[in-house]
Amino acid sequence: MLAISKREFIESFKGIKPIIIIAIFLITAYYSGKFSDLLLSANIDFTAEELEGIHTIAISGLLIIFGMLFVMGLSHDTMNREMHERTIRFLVTRTSRSAIIIGKFLGIWFFWIVCLVTSFMVISIFVHKFDMITLFQATSLVAYYLALTILLSVLIPKPGFTMFLSIVLGIAFPIFNSWTVFTSNPWVSWMKYLLPFYYINDRNFYFVGILLLVGVILFIAIAIFNRREC
Amino acid sequence: MFAIETKQLTKTFGKNKVVDQIDLQVKSGEILGFLGRNGAGKSTFINMLTGIIQPSSGSYSLLDVQGPNDDIKKQIGVMPDYSALNASMTAMKHLKFLAAVSEKPVSDERCMDILKLVGLEEQAHKKAGKFSFGMKKKLAIAQAIIHDPQLIFLDEPTSGLDAESVIHIHQLIQQLHQQGKTIFMTSHNLDEVEKICSRIAIMKDGKIGKMGSMDELRAYYQSTITVTIKHSPIRSTHLPTLEQWLTLTGTQLEMKTSQFTIHVTSEKKIAEIIRALGKYNIDIYRVDVNEPSLEEIFLDE
Repeated sequence: MLAISKREFIESFKGIKPIIIIAIFLITAYYSGKFSDLLLSANIDFTAEELEGIHTIAISGLLIIFGMLFVMGLSHDTMNREMHERTIRFLVTRTSRSAIIIGKFLGIWFFWIVCLVTSFMVISIFVHKFDMITLFQATSLVAYYLALTILLSVLIPKPGFTMFLSIVLGIAFPIFNSWTVFTSNPWVSWMKYLLPFYYINDRNFYFVGILLLVGVILFIAIAIFNRREC
Repeated sequence: MFAIETKQLTKTFGKNKVVDQIDLQVKSGEILGFLGRNGAGKSTFINMLTGIIQPSSGSYSLLDVQGPNDDIKKQIGVMPDYSALNASMTAMKHLKFLAAVSEKPVSDERCMDILKLVGLEEQAHKKAGKFSFGMKKKLAIAQAIIHDPQLIFLDEPTSGLDAESVIHIHQLIQQLHQQGKTIFMTSHNLDEVEKICSRIAIMKDGKIGKMGSMDELRAYYQSTITVTIKHSPIRSTHLPTLEQWLTLTGTQLEMKTSQFTIHVTSEKKIAEIIRALGKYNIDIYRVDVNEPSLEEIFLDE
């Protein structure tokens, strides 16, 4: 599992897409740190809670709006590419299928953690404080996106289709998830518990709920992969 | 101890029974050659044992451990029938990575030794994407043995390789056999199987038709031992009696004045024929015994 995680982590940095995403995060972090004080100087009534997270709000916003698109764009083919090209056979004959999925998940998640921690450190240079709660929420959110991406990659055998799906879901997911959180329609509202935004609505430890959902999604992905013929 | 034991192992795709209730036992340290026409179910059978696909029913054990079992995977090496290598990884990185996945990390020296064994030492730092078909095949064999497994599955290890590489791979298989490894290999090359395997199983329509050592398989076909005897001319007075006697001894194919060909059921009959010819004062110039080749057995199956 560790070898798979290590390879996924290193592979995540290769290519132009991760460089663009890292650049977007670092630039956002830089301007977020540099200009967040401007928001404070404007005559806007912020709650104490909002003031706490104001320096990292740009990163949070970026993750909420584009997070799914970024994660799926980078990792939509993490499983199905290997199954399609049958490189997966070298792995399934050596280790358990759960180790493959968890190894891949941890490797890519660690890539995102590195990106986020770096971004938060850039912000902390300007504001002289490190927003741990928002960082935990952000990493939990990325974990959810990633688990969902891996599940889809196990479910859908064609990498071309998951690439298309990554664009559609990347756009639709934040809109739909926001709707479930703010709607009063009971037929839709219950879904907020299955989606991540509800758990990061406030600065608290509800993000643990996201990690539980991540566990459930990965469990389903492993169960499906165990039945898959490679 | 059996390295491989299957009981009623079956795989069904839809209504199609690809592997049909196979009972098989492979002893530790032997090389079992698995033969069969295309679509006979050989690869499906290997894929079930190696965890690539799940059996529909039946059971199997590898190295005395009931399968499927993830821990036993560390002790088996698999060269799948069709598999692509990661194009962006070098041969060396492939070996190091896959050994680490097996939780048996290896040194660079070990990787180089294995690459030398398969004849890829000069390509150690080349990316697999630039490899020829033969080189990819060799790397696939190298990854199967890098972690020093006890049981090795090779699915058509020499198909598509040039003659020199085939000899090289045969030597490697023999070497692994001498180290006490159990090798289960499929092949379409009958000569190869006959030459290097201690036992042979022939699969047909998802079942094992014949199984045994080359001698045992030939024993099934002893009726097809063909003997051609070149001799001094037979006196016309002796000819009818001798012809009658030969008809009782075996199936006569051809009778000429100085040569005849006959099918016999056992080697003992050959001795009887030679003794009989001696009785009639017929000189024997040459005896050709044609035992059934694996190809004949295979085609008959």
